[in-house]
Amino acid sequence: MKTNTFSPPRHQVRQEFLTKKLFYLRDLKKRTYGFLLFFVPLVSWWFMVSPVLAYPDFQAFIKKNSGRSVDCAFCHANSNGPEGNGPGQIGSLTPEEFDRLNFARGAFDPGRNVNSPILNAFGNRVIRELGKKKFIEIKNHPADLAKALDPKVDLDGDGIPDVQEFLDGTHPLKNTDGDPGRLFLANFLKNHTQILLLLFATLFTLYGLNNLLRGFARFFEAEDGEGGR
Amino acid sequence: MTKLKGNDFIEKVRTEIDQRLPLDMLNLGDLMAHKEVPKHRMSWAYYLGGFTLFFFIVQVVTGLMLLFYYKPTVSEAHASVEYITHQVSAGALVRNMHTWASSLMILSILIHLITTFAMKAFEKPRELTWVTGVALLLITFTFGFTGYLLPWNQIAVNATKIGLQTIEQVGHYLPGDLATWPRHLREIIQGEASVGQSTLSRFYAIHVVVLPFLIFGLLGVHLLVVQLHGMSKGVDEPAKGQEKFFPFFILKDFSAWGIAFLALFLFALCLPFESFFPYPLFEPYDALGSTPEGIKPEWYFFFMYYPLELLPFWLVMLGVNGAMVVLLFAPWIFKGSSRKTLRFLAVLAALYLFVMTVFGDKIYHLVKGVGG
Amino acid sequence: MLEAFLFVGLPYAAVIICVAGSIYRFKTQPYSYSALSSQFLEGKKLMWGSVPWHLGITVVFLGHLAAFLAPDTWRLFLSSTHVLYTMEAIGLAAAILCALGLLVLILRRLTTANLQPVTTLMDLVVLFLLLIQVILGIMTAMSVRWGSLWSTETTTPYLWSLLTFRPDASFIAGMPLLVKAHLTGAWILLLSIPFSRLVHMFSLPLEYLFRPPQKVVWNAHPHHGSLKAAEDKEVTRRLFLKGAFGLTAGGVLLGVGVLDELYRFFRGPRLTQAEEADLLDVTQKRLKKNAEEKALELERLRDESIFVAKLSDLSPTKGKYFIDYQMRPALAFLGADGLPQLLSAKCTHLGCTVGSEVNAQGRLLCPCHVSFFDVTNGVPDAGSPAKDPLPKLGWVLVNEKGEIVLSRGPKGEVEGTLLGHEKETLSVHIAKRYVEALT
Repeated sequence: MKTNTFSPPRHQVRQEFLTKKLFYLRDLKKRTYGFLLFFVPLVSWWFMVSPVLAYPDFQAFIKKNSGRSVDCAFCHANSNGPEGNGPGQIGSLTPEEFDRLNFARGAFDPGRNVNSPILNAFGNRVIRELGKKKFIEIKNHPADLAKALDPKVDLDGDGIPDVQEFLDGTHPLKNTDGDPGRLFLANFLKNHTQILLLLFATLFTLYGLNNLLRGFARFFEAEDGEGGR
Repeated sequence: MTKLKGNDFIEKVRTEIDQRLPLDMLNLGDLMAHKEVPKHRMSWAYYLGGFTLFFFIVQVVTGLMLLFYYKPTVSEAHASVEYITHQVSAGALVRNMHTWASSLMILSILIHLITTFAMKAFEKPRELTWVTGVALLLITFTFGFTGYLLPWNQIAVNATKIGLQTIEQVGHYLPGDLATWPRHLREIIQGEASVGQSTLSRFYAIHVVVLPFLIFGLLGVHLLVVQLHGMSKGVDEPAKGQEKFFPFFILKDFSAWGIAFLALFLFALCLPFESFFPYPLFEPYDALGSTPEGIKPEWYFFFMYYPLELLPFWLVMLGVNGAMVVLLFAPWIFKGSSRKTLRFLAVLAALYLFVMTVFGDKIYHLVKGVGG
Repeated sequence: MLEAFLFVGLPYAAVIICVAGSIYRFKTQPYSYSALSSQFLEGKKLMWGSVPWHLGITVVFLGHLAAFLAPDTWRLFLSSTHVLYTMEAIGLAAAILCALGLLVLILRRLTTANLQPVTTLMDLVVLFLLLIQVILGIMTAMSVRWGSLWSTETTTPYLWSLLTFRPDASFIAGMPLLVKAHLTGAWILLLSIPFSRLVHMFSLPLEYLFRPPQKVVWNAHPHHGSLKAAEDKEVTRRLFLKGAFGLTAGGVLLGVGVLDELYRFFRGPRLTQAEEADLLDVTQKRLKKNAEEKALELERLRDESIFVAKLSDLSPTKGKYFIDYQMRPALAFLGADGLPQLLSAKCTHLGCTVGSEVNAQGRLLCPCHVSFFDVTNGVPDAGSPAKDPLPKLGWVLVNEKGEIVLSRGPKGEVEGTLLGHEKETLSVHIAKRYVEALT
């Protein structure tokens, strides 16, 4: 007799989340830097026993802003969010990964070298750049995330900055995903040599075919003329 | 006396077949010298078959290339597709070209079909060309349907599930024991109780072996009859002139192919087909997770997908099957219709396809009253 | 000393003699200002020799000219490896075309009886000189690769130093012997221009590309009847030549681009160890997931009952997902009677997974085609696409000792009794014995 490993659709975690959030903020107020050394192990423990939740506020914002539906894999390692036993979820972490997770949870200030196992590269980048404190502030008005992040960074190198991808609802780590217009332009500029090469090849071929056509036309004309004589 | 009658009958059948398939004209020199293309205001339509053939050739080449890396197992299919896209040099280009060319092939077939209909090109003795053409259309749709599943991502598996489930729904309208037959049929197609490894193996076999055999055979017949009969007249008024197919029209065809290739290359290189859909649809299929939003078949099935969503099932099935029968027997049904009538019908059909494909989603949301 | 002569003295001498000689020849023998045509003596081989040669040399010459005139732009243009490969390949192909054409022309001059009387010694010398020069060029391209790039740093400044009258041979001092030979050959060829048929290159520099070899109207051909017919034939020939040129150029460009890509596609990627590890990691995760699914399946084939949830964890408004015996998703709720209510979550319309949240009207929503189901009995609303109710699943309640306390089948048949105080410790299971009843 085993348990079922079945994760609920992510929108359902939201209600639970709202109640948990209050606890979290209350705790946050109590903390001061002086107590950090004492608190970090305690906080880690608290997090280990309490369920960890994705931030559906961002998900809802992206969907509303862009019209594209996204899942937790926008920032998290697993598309069903951090909770569960699947890969990239809390239930399957090794002790070393737990250390990294706890370090990430304690990274309240920007600039810490966060590498949380439940986040993907974009999620880690957000925490690294903003720090957990700022991130939680922004959570209530998700549009500000686009302003808070460095507008130039493009993690997947598809030519569309992460911030823009966040607004477009396209994945910042998948270079095949992007707003079609923007992606076309970026790829066009990136691959201009190949395009130019083929353009010239096509032009030459068309030129050749056109001349062959005219040549044949004259050739057949001459033959007809001869036949008529 | 009776013997003579029998001979008459055989003679009659022979002439009928001979008219449709004049194999005695099968002489390369003659074909090259005599096939001509009429010049008139609908002349552009003569390029469409060639376009289809071009995209088919692209499909064969890119498909073979993908075959070198693709792995048809549930646990590795998606990973191998990702490997092609991200690791193999030019893999993304080849894969994207395969996707784009499949859509473009179907688009050009549809326009080819509609214009051929409007030009009454199925008139005697060209019935065989028309019927093989319709069969080729069906094969191409099957290509699309089976190929859609192969990447084994969320949209692929879920759309396939929905597609196959519609077969089972027919059962509701059948009496007695017959009611279970559609379910059996579905299970034969998918190979097990639900879409899984067996389905993938079967679709793979169909997509890369069965259908190519069929299409090569039928395409051979289709092209042969086109060569034997030459181009149809196409319009009522006398043509402005004739143009030899070889070497003139074929060179023009090649020029058109050159432009088509440039366009295809540009699209395939710069615009991943996935970018039109939300990314969760392209995550590997998760049998135990919830279905992501926005599961849809490929755009070329919209013409029957959206009606299925909106209208009673039996009505749509009746419509689709009726349309299929009419299409298949068009040379006999529309034997006496004038080109004007056919043109009107063709415009109507084109309009329907266009509206359903482009605005189907909007109509759906409008009728259902849900946002999006 | 020799170097100074070859690379400073010889060039100036060659240019002066070339210019002065050409002008002198034009003044004194204007009608010799052409390549004396031999077309009417022998036409077929001429076509196969002259056309490739002229096509090839034009392309090669343009390449050399570009590196000489605009070295910086040229270098920038070649900074992409794609372009570099393409240009080198085009250059090499053109040079090979030149060599083949020259070979045909030489053989023609040597073996065609008709031509022997009109062939001068100078014709042969020039042809051989050209062949040697082309072969030197090809060898340079093969052994000292990417000449289109390094030439902008070496030969280009050298040539400019000559042109600006500040000759500086040190730019090419360190070059391999091959390159020096190729340069020397160039000066010798330049020198020979006024004395040979090469002088024709000054007559029609651009139109020469597609000009027919020569319009020679021997006398009015009896069959064609007129000058016009002969001219027509030449025009047609020219059109075919342009056609062949276009197709060749297009084909070469396409070939260069495609062959390179094809080669790399079939060679497969060469991954670094880190990339390889990432890839394996992903594959392994997928395999693990697959194994987990198989484990669930196995469990369902073997076990008589499977844990769904603790009774106390169930909620009337929010379902808990689990997998039923047929590996389909299902939902567990707490019914109004305080007992579990288990429903299949596979939509009876087209098989999507039904949502788990109960709305204010006590309905469950299937997101795919907007079907609403009553949570108490699974019956869909009248307007829903789904017509059949979600099947109910039977369950058993198991206490801590693993004994079955209470059970209810899919049709609602209840067995056993429930003592109030046990409720907290009971867990909900699905049981195999109800499976047949469900299908």
